[in-house]
Amino acid sequence: MSLTGKVALVTGGSRGIGRAISLKLAAGGADVIINYFRRRETAESTAREVEKLGVSAHIIKANVGEPEKIGLMFDEIKAKCGRLDIFINNAASGVARPALELDDKSWDWTMDINARAFLLCVQRAACLMTNGGKIVAISSLGSRLTLPAYTSVGVSKAALEALVRYLAVELAPRGICVNGLAAGGVESESLKLYTRGQEAAAAGAWQTTPAGRMVQGKDVANLVAFLCSDDSEMIRGQIIVIDGGVSLAPIGTAKPS
Amino acid sequence: MSPVEEKVKEIVIKIVRKPELDFTPTTTFKDMNADSLDIVQILVALEDAFDIEIIDEEMKEIANMGEFVAYIERKVAARKAA
Ligand SMILES: NC(=O)c1ccc[n+]([C@@H]2O[C@H](COP(=O)([O-])OP(=O)(O)OC[C@H]3O[C@@H](n4cnc5c(N)ncnc54)[C@H](OP(=O)(O)O)[C@@H]3O)[C@@H](O)[C@H]2O)c1
Repeated sequence: MSLTGKVALVTGGSRGIGRAISLKLAAGGADVIINYFRRRETAESTAREVEKLGVSAHIIKANVGEPEKIGLMFDEIKAKCGRLDIFINNAASGVARPALELDDKSWDWTMDINARAFLLCVQRAACLMTNGGKIVAISSLGSRLTLPAYTSVGVSKAALEALVRYLAVELAPRGICVNGLAAGGVESESLKLYTRGQEAAAAGAWQTTPAGRMVQGKDVANLVAFLCSDDSEMIRGQIIVIDGGVSLAPIGTAKPS
Repeated sequence: MSPVEEKVKEIVIKIVRKPELDFTPTTTFKDMNADSLDIVQILVALEDAFDIEIIDEEMKEIANMGEFVAYIERKVAARKAA
């Protein structure tokens, strides 16, 4: 897969899955703009890793939950690169509470960062994709399966996935492919945080996949790279599940290979 | 009250939605029932207001508003000196 000469933006591209995506796109030859929220040092360290792969890296601090920050981020991208070829909507946040305990503030925070930001970013990104482009939204199984205390994020991901379908059709005439992926539990710091308060069996269920191992950030990054390549040109508006098969087998029934 | 303290107080009161809050040096986040989202929003608003970077690990040492204001004042001074 060659992404040589392409310019990619990865929101939340500084750590976790976003970091794996930034590195994968860089390995394919793309220059990478790494958006982050509050941890500058982590973003700088990922940018150095990206540069080691022989492409350029640029970090931009912006809370994608705030429309004006999105505006400033794209102004900076326009001034620095003049165009964009790949946009990966990866940044996410959420408030881990049962539905009956969610207040308006938690709801707005989660929806603004996980769903509204995708729309607002795409509106700006599409204008910079003058030669067509690829857009990939990172969702999770929680958009359609219920997970404890995951309501706000699950609902925001459902909105994100619906947007993928609408945008895929609306942006197709501009030569822009829009797709999404829904990951199962990915071995990561954030999953550890999320499962911390859960029963051992529930927390451990994520680790038992029919594929025999947990999904890693690099598995997600590989799929993103495929969706950014011309090999996937006829896939439009789809949400590809990447979970090692875990959603096919009721919890506890999958036998590891 | 220093301008930094004024601003911290204004932001904290707005985000925890407690206009009647008695903001004193000994007031804690717990006293105002601030949850983790409130605290993140307060930190983000202060980072924006003063163009500073607040380190989560350093926040763990902060016991009350007196220490919080002093911490923000140090960050603001360090930025001005840089
Ligand atoms: N981990 C899993 O098991 C899992 C499973 C399924 C789907 N996913 C999805 O995969 C994506 C990445 O998850 P992750 O686990 O890698 O996340 P993570 O480790 O928590 O990293 C989040 C990244 O997003 C950035 N970020 C957070 N809030 C932001 C905001 N308001 N504006 C801009 N950037 C923001 C963070 O920047 P700072 O470091 O500067 O704060 C960081 O770079 C998310 O969409 C998540 O829903 C994850």
